[in-house]
Amino acid sequence: MTALLDLTGLGKRYGTVDALHDVGMTVAAGTVHCVLGENGAGKSTLCNLVGGGIRPSTGEMTLRGTAYSPGSPADALSRGVAMVHQHFSLVPTMTVRENLLLSGRGLRPDVQTLRARLDRIADEFGLRVDDARARVAELPVGARQKVEIVKALLPDPDLVLLDEPTAVLDGAEIDALIGTCQAVAASGRAVVLVTHKLGEVSRVADTATVLRDGTVAGSGRLSEVSVGQLLSLMLGRDTDAAGGPTVLDPVAAAGVGLAARRPIRDRVEVGPTAMTARGLTVTRPDGNRVLDGAGLDLRAGEITGIAGVEGNGQTELVRVLSGALRPDAGEVHIGDHPITTAPPARRTALGLGVVPEDRHHEAMVGDMSIAENLYLADLGRFRRHGFLRRGALDQAAAGVIREFAVRAPGPRTPMRALSGGNQQKVVLARELAVDGLKVLVAAQPTRGLDVGAVGQVLTRLREAADRGIAVLVVSSEVAELLALCDRILVGYRGRLLGPVDATAPTAAAEIGALMAGTTA
Amino acid sequence: MNTTDLRRAAFHPATVAAGAVVVAVLVGLVLAALAGAAPGTAVAALTEGMVGTPYAIGKSLNAAAVLMLVAAGFVLAYRAGLVNVGGEGQLCAGGIAAAAVGTTLPDGTPTAVALPAVVLAATTAGFAWAGIAAALRAWRGTSEIITTLLLNFVALAVLSLTVHEPSLLRQPVTSSETLPQSAPLVAGAHLPSLGLSRSPATIAILVAVAAVVAVGVLFRATPTGLRLTALGHAPEAAARLGVPVARTRFLALSSAGGFSGAAGGLLVATAPFVLAEGFSSGFGFSGLVVGLLARGSMTALGAVALLLGFLVSGGINLQLVAGVPATAVSIVESLIILLIAGSAWWAATRRAAARPAPAAETSAPELIGATR
Amino acid sequence: MTVLTQILVSGIGFALPLLVAAAGELVSERAGVLNLSLEGMMLSGAFTAVLGSVLTGSPWLGALAGVAGGLLLGAAQALLSVRCLADQIVVGVAANALALATTTFGARLLLDDGRGHDVAAFDRVEIPLLHDIPLIGPALFGQTALGYLCVLVVVVTAVLLSPRTGPGLRIDATGEDAVAADRTGLPVRRLRILCILLTSAMAGLAGAQLALSEVRAFSDNMTAGIGYLAVVAVIAGRWRAPGTVVAAILFGLAQALQYALPALGVAVPPAVLAMVPYVIAIVAVSGLTGRSHAPSGLTVPFARA
Repeated sequence: MTALLDLTGLGKRYGTVDALHDVGMTVAAGTVHCVLGENGAGKSTLCNLVGGGIRPSTGEMTLRGTAYSPGSPADALSRGVAMVHQHFSLVPTMTVRENLLLSGRGLRPDVQTLRARLDRIADEFGLRVDDARARVAELPVGARQKVEIVKALLPDPDLVLLDEPTAVLDGAEIDALIGTCQAVAASGRAVVLVTHKLGEVSRVADTATVLRDGTVAGSGRLSEVSVGQLLSLMLGRDTDAAGGPTVLDPVAAAGVGLAARRPIRDRVEVGPTAMTARGLTVTRPDGNRVLDGAGLDLRAGEITGIAGVEGNGQTELVRVLSGALRPDAGEVHIGDHPITTAPPARRTALGLGVVPEDRHHEAMVGDMSIAENLYLADLGRFRRHGFLRRGALDQAAAGVIREFAVRAPGPRTPMRALSGGNQQKVVLARELAVDGLKVLVAAQPTRGLDVGAVGQVLTRLREAADRGIAVLVVSSEVAELLALCDRILVGYRGRLLGPVDATAPTAAAEIGALMAGTTA
Repeated sequence: MNTTDLRRAAFHPATVAAGAVVVAVLVGLVLAALAGAAPGTAVAALTEGMVGTPYAIGKSLNAAAVLMLVAAGFVLAYRAGLVNVGGEGQLCAGGIAAAAVGTTLPDGTPTAVALPAVVLAATTAGFAWAGIAAALRAWRGTSEIITTLLLNFVALAVLSLTVHEPSLLRQPVTSSETLPQSAPLVAGAHLPSLGLSRSPATIAILVAVAAVVAVGVLFRATPTGLRLTALGHAPEAAARLGVPVARTRFLALSSAGGFSGAAGGLLVATAPFVLAEGFSSGFGFSGLVVGLLARGSMTALGAVALLLGFLVSGGINLQLVAGVPATAVSIVESLIILLIAGSAWWAATRRAAARPAPAAETSAPELIGATR
Repeated sequence: MTVLTQILVSGIGFALPLLVAAAGELVSERAGVLNLSLEGMMLSGAFTAVLGSVLTGSPWLGALAGVAGGLLLGAAQALLSVRCLADQIVVGVAANALALATTTFGARLLLDDGRGHDVAAFDRVEIPLLHDIPLIGPALFGQTALGYLCVLVVVVTAVLLSPRTGPGLRIDATGEDAVAADRTGLPVRRLRILCILLTSAMAGLAGAQLALSEVRAFSDNMTAGIGYLAVVAVIAGRWRAPGTVVAAILFGLAQALQYALPALGVAVPPAVLAMVPYVIAIVAVSGLTGRSHAPSGLTVPFARA
């Protein structure tokens, strides 16, 4: 097998921080190569270096033996390297066909050639584009992903990079993706799959490189190394002597997408209903019902989970509950108080805390300090004669930083200077401090966090429930929900199916069935 | 100082601005030479026009005051993420209201009544004018860049109408040579001068400085300032954290209009105390430029406003004394602005390279795309 | 000529430079760049056109000089806004001031009386038969050679860069989502620079048309806001070519009416008519009638980490 891509001593430095250093990797044609690592290990940086989005600070890349240093994604494409991005490269307001035509050259958009190429891709890889006239913004996430991949395959690349593609796919779609990867590799091309989900690797990869803390912790052929060894390399510690995932720390397992057998929580004392939602409906402009009469009950002291991949209405449900989205029909109550159309401030006053999915845009103001983020909703407490008491603000924040073990220079540090895990701790601290907190809604709370932070977040959520708060966790990581929750609902096509008892041994199978649309 | 400190100093905004001024002035000297004036004569005339006489300084201060007010309003709205391009029109609206009130008050009205009335009317008019665009943005999401820009031209047309129509504000037409302008404001509405000998400087500069300081204090030390900042940086997070988004946007942009309107009122209340077409003479746009170049620093705002204000006076003298067309100063001014605007990016990236970057690992590392 | 015909003639006369500039600006805005400096580009074009014509004695060389004059300012806008990521609005406003001051200064220095004597200008070319069509004949078919060229340029640009063509689609993508366009492999910066240069060339041509076909001399600030009106026409036309053309023609007619109505004894103050284009645009963009869709990335600079 010939080496297609070769990286030596590759590094990327931002200021005085090394996002990557001394990375070496070889990818052979006709193989699927996985780049593994937990969140924050530098995988996306590596992907972007190869894909032309950023330039390396040190090191070299060669493609088929010749030097390769793309100055832009366009350069990479011209050398036969195509990248499927985590956050997409499609223009949302344009249709699928228009997006696919963008890759062409020349004056007239060449619909003939496009159609011929699409047919070839469909034959070779089984990937078919359903409705080319749909606007990308209106497609469900899984369909957008498919269009992305088709677009990447159009220019007939030699190397296809996929950056965390499975985060938004359900079981069947993941199977299809894996099939596609294998087909692409079988055709003589190379596939580099970047992921933190160990479970997928073993199914699809021929070779793998493990990244940890910005450098290579190990690499080799999968036929020669066990999943347990890979896990140890990823986390930097031994999991257990036998190396099997079954007795794995559930938190660590959740962090890398492996199922753990033992749940974290042992006993549950459930109190009265704290929040109810009935008949929530949200319709998109094209008539599609993204929420279709969804309803739930949250009880004090209980941890409820919502499983299911993106695109089934969970995001919209959380936004309805938090007040960012007004439903077309349905009601939400906290206790006896209706909050369906209440502004966020009112919901907070009634005891609702929300940890939003999109941390950077909805949960925090990156350019403002930790102290300012913690107390923005509660500034009245620090006001005297119309002015802000900065000293008191900072002092209160310092206390929170200590209590939650946030790693930061001080309360005046801007939020964007913190790592993802520490940012999430601040957000959580703020929500947990809501006066008279009764309900806590957490959407994808551990997404993008390293294993250590995952553990702390999950522990805090459990502690909140122990205090008598009704906790709702929405997550696309089933393992995490099984480890944390008491009962689990499944989001499917805008409805909430279930609940499934999380402690039951058949829980995982039931959830899987509901996610696929079949009732158990 | 070690090399890192030196590099940081070299690319500090103040240094870059000074560099831009130097380059532009050199160009100006070339232009002066083309117009037949020796560099020495040109520089002397310019400086004399800027700071040579109390008269010149006074005129400069008055101009700087108008710029500062407009810029302060601009910065206020900008903090909340809104770009107010409508300073010119809001100035006009303020001027019209000021003239309307100032010419209808009875002759003997004392200053303590007339002046606040005039300024209040001007501020309200500016607030309302910007309010149109503000409401459209807050509740319909229409881009305020476009609506405030368009409203400028409408206001200029309204101004033209107002000073041409005797039924509106035009002074009584007694002959064919009666200029299209308003009657003079009542004496009580005239802005008191600062009392400096032979200087036309009015209290306008005091009002302007007070406004700039107030805005600065608002940003740093009040809850409102914090909410504005949050809204400008992360509107969705701000909404989640209890900031009333639509209302805050409306108030921020309308207030910016209020500032500009007040500036218009002050202009009309300064000699020759009449409302005429062209009284705004680009102050609205210049104020916007000052606001953007200040990059959020109130001290920089004051400094740039003063610089531009003084340059205007200098230009007039340059033409009178050295025979160099005043447009040469305009050229220098525009060049300064362009050079500073173009170097902002360069200076920022150089400074970042010279400084230890924070340990930022975003959960979803995105390429920096759109910035605003 | 009847009064109506006269109004149409002067209306189209106003509209033509406006149309050329607007058609050019449409391309830039679709790519995400707002050129408030359009006014300055037109004025520069007018000045260099007159200067070129005076120096060479040829109106065609003058027109070429006009295009070059616009391009000069366009290069500055492109450099500052795309390469240096400067705020597009600041650059626009400052560039206009610079152009106004420079052309006024230059006119004093280089042109007699600041206007230019014996400026070699274009003469009207009346197309036989078509010119005699009642009402619209003289207006549409009594233009100068440069005028007909302008129309040709507008049509060619609209056709070659329409959203249905490859380049047109790529321009739209750049304006909608520059990041996605970059990841798709489109050369975002180069595209934007080319669009700005095209806009400025067309604005220069528009200035030349104004100076050499209509006014036949230079005067300080002779564009007097037409450049801004062209930007407004793009907005009122909702960023589509047909709408922009209609808006430009309507605005031209409104300007003609401004002067014609007082002469007719109609008591409408010219200022009211001057307002009309802007009010139309405000209504159009505030979506009070239907949906308006500015390119999502308009005025946002593009930078890759």
